[in-house]
Amino acid sequence: MAQGETIVSFQHVSMQFPGVLANHDVTLDIRKGEVFALVGENGAGKSTLMNILYGLNTPTSGKVFVKGEQIAHFSPSEAIARGVGMVHQHFMLVPSFTVAQNIVLSNEPRKLGIFYDFSKAMEDTENLVREYGLAVDPQARVEDISVGLQQRVEILKTLHRGADVLILDEPTAVLTPQETDELFTVIRRMVQEKQMTIIIITHKLYEVMAISDRVGVMRQGKLVGVAETRDVNERILAAMMVGKEVLLDALDRTEAVSEETAVEAQDLQALDNRGLPAVRGVSFTVRRGEILGIAGIEGNGQSELIEAVTGMRPLRGGTVRIMGQSIAGKTPGGIRALGLAHVPEDRLATGVCAPADVTDNLIVGKEKDRRFSWKRIHMKRRAIRAYAQEVFRRFDIRGAGVDTAVGSLSGGNMQKVVVAREFSFDTPVLIISQPTRGVDIGAMDFIHQQIMQKRNAGCAILLVSADLDELLRLSDRLLTIYEGRITGEFRPEHVDKREISFYMTGGRKEEQA
Amino acid sequence: MNKSKSRLQYLFSLAVSVLLALVLGGLIMAATGHNPIEGYGALLAGALGTSRGVGNTLAKSATLCLTGLATAVAAQAGIFNVGGEGQLYLGAIASAYVGARLTGVTPWIALPLCFLAAIAAGGLYAWIPAVLKVKMKVNEVITTIMMNSAAIYFCSYLANGPLKTADRGVSAGTDAVDPAFMFERVIKLSNLTESIFYAAAIALIVWYVMRKTTAGFEMKLTGHNERFARFSGIKAGKLAIWSMVASGAICGLVGMFEVFGLHKRFVTTVSNEFYFDGMLVAMIMRYQPVGIILMSLFFGVLKVGATTMEAKVGISSELIMIVQSIIIFFMAAEEGIMNSILARRARKRAALTLEKEAGA
Repeated sequence: MAQGETIVSFQHVSMQFPGVLANHDVTLDIRKGEVFALVGENGAGKSTLMNILYGLNTPTSGKVFVKGEQIAHFSPSEAIARGVGMVHQHFMLVPSFTVAQNIVLSNEPRKLGIFYDFSKAMEDTENLVREYGLAVDPQARVEDISVGLQQRVEILKTLHRGADVLILDEPTAVLTPQETDELFTVIRRMVQEKQMTIIIITHKLYEVMAISDRVGVMRQGKLVGVAETRDVNERILAAMMVGKEVLLDALDRTEAVSEETAVEAQDLQALDNRGLPAVRGVSFTVRRGEILGIAGIEGNGQSELIEAVTGMRPLRGGTVRIMGQSIAGKTPGGIRALGLAHVPEDRLATGVCAPADVTDNLIVGKEKDRRFSWKRIHMKRRAIRAYAQEVFRRFDIRGAGVDTAVGSLSGGNMQKVVVAREFSFDTPVLIISQPTRGVDIGAMDFIHQQIMQKRNAGCAILLVSADLDELLRLSDRLLTIYEGRITGEFRPEHVDKREISFYMTGGRKEEQA
Repeated sequence: MNKSKSRLQYLFSLAVSVLLALVLGGLIMAATGHNPIEGYGALLAGALGTSRGVGNTLAKSATLCLTGLATAVAAQAGIFNVGGEGQLYLGAIASAYVGARLTGVTPWIALPLCFLAAIAAGGLYAWIPAVLKVKMKVNEVITTIMMNSAAIYFCSYLANGPLKTADRGVSAGTDAVDPAFMFERVIKLSNLTESIFYAAAIALIVWYVMRKTTAGFEMKLTGHNERFARFSGIKAGKLAIWSMVASGAICGLVGMFEVFGLHKRFVTTVSNEFYFDGMLVAMIMRYQPVGIILMSLFFGVLKVGATTMEAKVGISSELIMIVQSIIIFFMAAEEGIMNSILARRARKRAALTLEKEAGA
């Protein structure tokens, strides 16, 4: 098969899930040896379409051809046999196995047909590493290596199974800017030297521009356009994605920061889940009417920092004061009572109760308020329902209604439920983690405006985000965190992303701004 | 998916499962040379045909219902209480002991103390695994199962040893409680006693707490997602412990009702795995209080009718165990089966509309 020929072909593919038409009549050809970017908002059907190609979904109708052959039976093993590999957003690795063991998993080299051949596994891995320039230590345990390296292991795993069509689902979501650059170098090399075909799912448009040859845009399950990347720009793509021109307007930062300190942390220390120091002496203050942003690559202690401040993780050392009162020995509920609300980073695990309905999720924490209960015992279901419906409308939550299980909402709407609940406590302090992770542009803009309104109303806001654009857009001040320590302090108007990235990856700033 | 819709779907699955189980039970009757209609006829007649049968059925249902609700109360807050049998035994022996010791005291004082003894014994015995679970993350399924045996053998020791009655004709049991404390029979010759009214009151309270109060609401969230509950300021650990204590207290009361209704004293045969029968009912009904109450009636009919069926038609009462198992089997597989049916239907419908669009 020559370069540029069609290697994968979707013909009138539709995928119906109960209640959702995830893909609607998609016809798309992917050519051998290209980097094809698939973009779209959350829930646009990108991952569904690629899961069909990888055999995880069986389409409701339509045909899929790989290398000219129609796929009759959809299963990952079938896909792998045809040379299709996929690296998911959430890695599917065995943490306690070594890199080499993970790479040969399901395809282990054997001695005499039954015995695991460890040395051959090492050899295979080393060969792959050399061949593709994906440097990684074959003997390291997966749990000990960084997320960026884990991703390489995932890629090597598909290569070991002989993939020449590689699907990458949001590969840069967890990477530093440097790691992203390295990944792109690897992708180019795989395409140029090995004539591989790469399909990359993303919603970061500058990445599309940086790496892809062609780009397909999906919206509400339909493929709304395919173009040569050099013929389009980010603005055109964004407009195609949402169906209308989106401009992220500047936010109104109306009020000045007050002098009143609301959050004060001194020499804060906390351990991670393995019992190792994750936060190593962090001090900061947040004043009312101020947004303090914390920028850091994931896994540098920011999650543990937030959990320690909100009581979800014990303090190992140092003090934290919320509105002048120490949080020592207090439960999350006790700390909330000091005047704090919290949008957590992981909405499914912490932010919502997925099986419960929207009403229940909006009311939690207020169920003993006088307007919602009689003597804090009997729940006034009618008042609760009316309140939930009002919030549902005010926060523009889209879904079947307040009786729907929160778990069935899209990521953006689920996040709106969390934001609606936490913001309506009207506390003087807000702790916000990853407010727009995996959220589409429309919902993101809405949430940003809500955050800014809270700031202008005098809230002290501590904001942690992996998205630098978001931090620069919202913060009044910005701290960088690296390996559990603050490495710099900035005014967003005085820095650019490159400089902040430098401090996020271990550079130190001597003088404090 | 919409809540009421999924509930309807579940009820539909349940109805189909019960029907299929009964049909399969009928086939087994036919295969073993019995007439299924005759068999089920005898079952119904035995359970509901006479006032005595109705009484026995109601009594059986009340026990199933209370033990089922006890399971549900704990399960709602995320603890799986498998130790109800032991809590039941302790409640029975504690109330029997108090009832015997207070002989002669006016029932107005003695009876509440007997209730208290049953509640305290069952509740405390459930408190131990609850605290172990919440404070030290010890798996409650393992501790409660083991504590069942400990309680049952401990009661057996007491009934055969220190508390053994001097009354003649009682092989293993404690002293009889004062007859003045005993529950009256509501239907003559049947097992139905005044305890049915207490049972109804308990069921009502449990339903109210689980469905209508802030405590029930917080328990539900804790059971679904403990981390979320803690994050939201709910005292999840405390709630879990209290719901387990409530569960144990209800089991203790079931034990007391057996003593004060039927046996007059603690005997080692006070329960025949009553708790596990109720637990199954609760699991089938996904811990929904109203569902448990209704399902208890159905299983009550099956259990009481089975005895008559065996006596009259000669079909082993074990057949009812098979029917029960089949229902549980189907309901366990319910989600998987329903999902594949729904997916297939959706696929067909989508294919149809797409064809239509293509044709138009």
